[in-house]
Order: sequence, then structure tokens, then C-alpha cells
Amino acid sequence: MYYNNKRLALSIFWMVLGIVLIILNMTDVLDQSIYSGMGSALTVVGFFQAMRNLRYRKDKDYREKIDTELGDERNSFLRMKSWAWTGYIVVLAEGIGVVIAMITGQELLCRVLSWSVCLIVGVYWITYMVLSRKY
Amino acid sequence: MKNRIEEIRNEKGIKQEDFAKLMGVSRQTISSLENGRYNPSILLAHKIAAYFGMAIEEVFIFEEE
Repeated sequence: MYYNNKRLALSIFWMVLGIVLIILNMTDVLDQSIYSGMGSALTVVGFFQAMRNLRYRKDKDYREKIDTELGDERNSFLRMKSWAWTGYIVVLAEGIGVVIAMITGQELLCRVLSWSVCLIVGVYWITYMVLSRKY
Repeated sequence: MKNRIEEIRNEKGIKQEDFAKLMGVSRQTISSLENGRYNPSILLAHKIAAYFGMAIEEVFIFEEE
């Protein structure tokens, strides 16, 4: 069962947090417009998640569809593969970006991209070590 | 790895969609299995073979590359 009471509570929490941010922004407690945008986004996401959760409980066909999609091993395989490809592409693009930034003399951009590549590689090694202990 | 899923399923007169429901996977997964684009996990292979009342090696044909 994918959508449970915990997920519904979390959706309601996002909605309430979003509304609180909008109100705080409207009453000038928070004066940056970013909070209003963030609040609207959280409210919309929370609302749609809650609606999906309620539909999952009431609609048997929808529940079967969601359970099959989430439990389907090919889907899990595709999700993992997509993340792996995303990682490769991002690291490759950043590597190319580092070289271009170096050639064009944009030192800050070059440094930021280099750190980003280092961070991704570091996270990869940590997750690899954790997973190799688990499996 | 080749398999005889489509052949056995047709012999038994089961639709792809119904077979997917019985196996707890999507219809696309069954389609990919039958076309040989996707190799199943040992658990799914076992479930399919058990449903057909056969041994795994009777349904899935291992080929060394």
C-alpha cells in the first residue's frame, strides 16, 4: 500500500506550511517574494498529493494501477538505469564545462564545476561503500 | 536469454494483460520479456515458471554469449 496515513499527513503538512508562508509574506513578516512563490508551490504540491492519496483509497482500479506500477520490477530497473545515466551525463557535461570555463578564463565557474564533479564522485564512493556492505 | 513465455501463454489462451495481472507486473513488462528486451529477476522467472507448472529452464533458455 503506497499511499498511507503517513503520506496523507505529510501532504497536509506541506499544504499548511505553504499557506503559512503565503500568509507571513502577505502580512509582511517575511518580506521576500521568494517565500510567497515557495508557499504557493508547497500548497499546490500538497493539495495534489492529498487528492491522489484520497483517490488511491477510494478507487480500486487506480489503487491496482499504482501498486502495479510501483511494484513492477522492470519499472524499478528503468528508474535505476535512468538515475545512472543521469549521473553519467551530468558528470560528463560538468567535465566539458570545466574545460570550456578554463579556456574562456571563467575561474569561478571552473572552480564551482570542479567542486561539483568532486562532490558527485565523493557521494558515489560513499554510496558504493554503504551498498557493498549491505549486499 | 530466450524464453517461451509467448508460446506457452498462447497455448493456455491467456491474454498478455491478464497474465501481467496474475504475475503482478505491468503489461509492458510481459511484452518486453516476450520480445527478449528485458531479462526477469530470478523471483519473477520462478513465479512465471511455477504458474505454467514447469521448471525455469523449460521456460527460459539460457544462451552463453
